[in-house]
Amino acid sequence: MDKKKSDELIFANKELAFQNEEKEKRAAELSIANKELAFQNEEKEKRANELSIANKELAFQNKEKEKRAAELVIANHELAFQNEEKEERAAELIIANKELAIENQRKEKRAAELSIANTELSFQNKEKEKRAAELGLANIELVFQNEEKGKRAAELIIANKELAFQNIEKEKRAAELKIANKELAFQNKEKERRAGELGIANIELAFQNEEKEKRAAELIIANNELAFQNEEKIDRTAQLEAVNKELESFSYSVSHDLRAPLRAILGYAQMHKDKYESLLDTEAKRLMGNIIGNAKKMGQLIDDLLTFSRLGRKELVKIKILMNEMVENICHEFRNGEGHTKIEFRIQPLIPAQADSVAIKQVWVNLISNAIKYSGFKEKPIIEIGSEIKGDEIIYYIKDNGAGFDMRYINKLFGVFQRLHSEDEFEGTGVGLAIVQRIITKHGGRVWAEGKVNEGAVFYFTLIKS
Amino acid sequence: MNREVQILLVEDNASDAEMTITALQKNNLADKLLHIKDGAAALDFIFAEGKWSERQIENKPKLILLDLKMPKINGIEVLQRIKSDERTKGIPVVVLTSSKEDPDIKKCYELGVNSYVVKPVDFIEFQTVITELGLFWMIVNQTP
Repeated sequence: MDKKKSDELIFANKELAFQNEEKEKRAAELSIANKELAFQNEEKEKRANELSIANKELAFQNKEKEKRAAELVIANHELAFQNEEKEERAAELIIANKELAIENQRKEKRAAELSIANTELSFQNKEKEKRAAELGLANIELVFQNEEKGKRAAELIIANKELAFQNIEKEKRAAELKIANKELAFQNKEKERRAGELGIANIELAFQNEEKEKRAAELIIANNELAFQNEEKIDRTAQLEAVNKELESFSYSVSHDLRAPLRAILGYAQMHKDKYESLLDTEAKRLMGNIIGNAKKMGQLIDDLLTFSRLGRKELVKIKILMNEMVENICHEFRNGEGHTKIEFRIQPLIPAQADSVAIKQVWVNLISNAIKYSGFKEKPIIEIGSEIKGDEIIYYIKDNGAGFDMRYINKLFGVFQRLHSEDEFEGTGVGLAIVQRIITKHGGRVWAEGKVNEGAVFYFTLIKS
Repeated sequence: MNREVQILLVEDNASDAEMTITALQKNNLADKLLHIKDGAAALDFIFAEGKWSERQIENKPKLILLDLKMPKINGIEVLQRIKSDERTKGIPVVVLTSSKEDPDIKKCYELGVNSYVVKPVDFIEFQTVITELGLFWMIVNQTP
């Protein structure tokens, strides 16, 4: 019996030894599994670290890309592409996270199984309780680590959300950039339009330039035409000068040849008078007197005409004329003449001029003698002579309070042989003012007059200020 | 035809000639005056040629009154001949003309005219001028 009991104990011991061996094996496997888990955890930490670095890298790259996006429109495409890449990466991370989560779940399951196994083991082997307790602690540690990893995974999820948010931001930014691009494209179009407008304006300008060139060409032609016309005018002037010379020589020779028969008329009339006056009655004497008087008058006309024609031929010799001296001398001579003592000359300061002194003296003589002639009948004849500067002209005037003239006949005043008074009123040949006009015109000046019947006249002439 | 000629009047205008002669007569200066009516005849007389070939060229007139406008040979040519010939250049020549505007005045002086007188239209003045001329050249002036 004892032997049977001893055998049973031996067997039980063997059984226990076997079970212990099995448990030891199982513990060794668990230890290996734990090491494996620890290794996997380390790997996951590494992976998480890498992800963190990668995220930082991404954040940095995003900033870089924002900068880049702001600067370059083209870079947006790149960014968009990179964003896609990142989305892909994020998607991959999400997948990796999911995988991690699955693995964690698996590990939790496994841990739960191990916990059950441990409880079982503690039941089965109190000896091994300590070990099991240690394993429990290790498991608790693992659980804690798993929780840590779960936390970490949650953090990664948040980081992913953050990344997704950043991606959205970037998409927004990209959209903004698109709008900016559109804006730029619009501005480019505007610029193109403007360039088009400028192109049109350039064409317009080119056209205007052509027009101007055409105009310039026309002007050149017009200038040539003018030059030609000027030549024509010079020719014409030369012809006119020739005709004028001819006319002057004609008038000279007419006057010259008229003098001979006139001299004969006067001569014979005088001889007749000398020889036969004593035989003539009053009427015969009167008739003979008229013949002589008219012949003398004709002589005067011829002399005046000659003087007039001489003016056309004579070259002007311009010198400085002291007008006051010249005019005072002339007036002095006139004052000494018969019946001129009652005339009051009022000579104002006269501006000196550059002119032909012989000709200008003739002008003053003619104007002053005219003034005397037409005012001499007055009780108190006053003749005023003065001058003033107006622009580039010196205006001289001579004013009298004599017979004056009717302004209606002003156009006849300066004509040759034109008279506004009868010979009975005032004698004269009608050449004096024509001579004045001719001299002044030849000097480049002007002549005009103002008058009122019985109140007097003012004669003006101008000389160019030197 | 050998009578002495003191004044030679060369004048184609009969009226002027008559007036000149009349004026000179008044002062008894026309007694020894010869009136010739053109330049050619005047040269014949002065140089004793043609009609006047028998005349002695040395019997020079005391004064020649010369009109400028004449047919055939004009006064300028006559003056030139007289003044360019040694035998005659000493004869006083007074040119009488109708106008002081005559372009020949300068030429006359260049040729050596002794005097140049414009005939006044007024007869009284004319007479005065001619008389003064006659008296001066015939009586006052001394020829070599």
